[in-house]
Amino acid sequence: MTDVVSLLLLAFGPLAIGLLLGVDRRITARMQNRVGPPLLQPFYDLAKLFRKDRRSTNRTQVSFAVAALLLQMAAWCVFALGGDLLVAFFVSGAGSLALALGAFSVRSAYSQIGAQRELLQMLSYEPILLLALLVLGWQSGTFMADAQDESMLFLLPLVIITFVPVLAIKMQKSPFDLATAHQEIVSGVYVEFAGPYYGLLKLANWFELALVFGFLSLFFWDQNVYVSIVGKSLLAFLFLFVTVLLDNSTARLTREQMVKYALTFGLGLIAVNVLAIIVEAAL
Amino acid sequence: MRSDAAVRSPWILHFDTGSCNGCDLEVWALLTPRYDVERFGMVNKANPKHADVLLITGPVSLKAAPRLKALYEQTPEPKVVIACGDCASNGVPFYDCYNVCGGIDQVVPVDLYVPGCSCRPEAIMDAVVQGIELWRKKVSGQ
Ligand code: SF4
Repeated sequence: MTDVVSLLLLAFGPLAIGLLLGVDRRITARMQNRVGPPLLQPFYDLAKLFRKDRRSTNRTQVSFAVAALLLQMAAWCVFALGGDLLVAFFVSGAGSLALALGAFSVRSAYSQIGAQRELLQMLSYEPILLLALLVLGWQSGTFMADAQDESMLFLLPLVIITFVPVLAIKMQKSPFDLATAHQEIVSGVYVEFAGPYYGLLKLANWFELALVFGFLSLFFWDQNVYVSIVGKSLLAFLFLFVTVLLDNSTARLTREQMVKYALTFGLGLIAVNVLAIIVEAAL
Repeated sequence: MRSDAAVRSPWILHFDTGSCNGCDLEVWALLTPRYDVERFGMVNKANPKHADVLLITGPVSLKAAPRLKALYEQTPEPKVVIACGDCASNGVPFYDCYNVCGGIDQVVPVDLYVPGCSCRPEAIMDAVVQGIELWRKKVSGQ
């Protein structure tokens, strides 16, 4: 049974993210009083990108794009097959680094600025996500993805909330969309990637998001498989909605503000939650 | 991958080659809730490397000509070029001026011309929809 679930997850995780991004664009459009694109728009975009001419600035750029995709896929495989959460986390981090290096390999000002901002973004969300996973492992007693069978909704509520800044950064949403700041540096890290190579990076981002939403879903669990699945999906949709709301109601922060706010907010919440658990156990 | 999935995502590059900004405002109007071209999957990418449809305005001043050419060459095939407005179509209000090329097609190949000074958003949308048809043919290699 678990094998089948793993394989299904492996295949449908990124597809679900594609749909989720479609929902995201629809909700954004509705919030701006527009109709918005069809639900399958992210898939159309991807299909289009892979049919465009192959053009690259240099070969290094291409290798890093491929590396980014392979690393994110590997991270997702580790997660979906029930492996170690920390391994998945670090492999995915290496994937983000490959993206930044790919952007650094081109002598374009926008690309370089974007890459530097991408690194700063990693500095902002990685400590939060890592600590959230550590706390999860501490409470459930294991870091294996398939052995997380406890609902953390009431035990770690503040830790779950820290996924909001993490998702905002990963989904390139305001106020944390620095690396792809459209109005300042066009599309930042992605600016020099054309056609299929941009498609590879988009796909890499889908796998990356699948992993983050996967981590988020671990915080809910129920004896009944169906309740479990519905609960996990609801959690994912709730966080998507909050992220979109944030995106449409906030202005972009500066680099310093991002690092400061994201870290104090994220680490602060986790610290309060951990302290509460320790105090409760001592009483 | 089917070609009709691919043509549902035309990304725009808008470039002003020295227009009076009248046509530019109309191009921007496409993105507003009233016209909302994202319904057709169109997004303004402002980046030639990601663009499929080039919406060009203005009579192409001599300084803008090499830039227009560079942008055109940086856009990967298949692509569609739309000249928006009378200026872009044949340089009309600036006809025979000493400092303009007199239309986009003097510099790069143009697929569709939108008349009007300034061109109406509805007309641009019509051109874009026709452009998508043209693009479908280019994608499927006809
Ligand atoms: S066609 Fe008319 S409105 Fe458009 S840019 Fe030229 S002068 Fe301005």
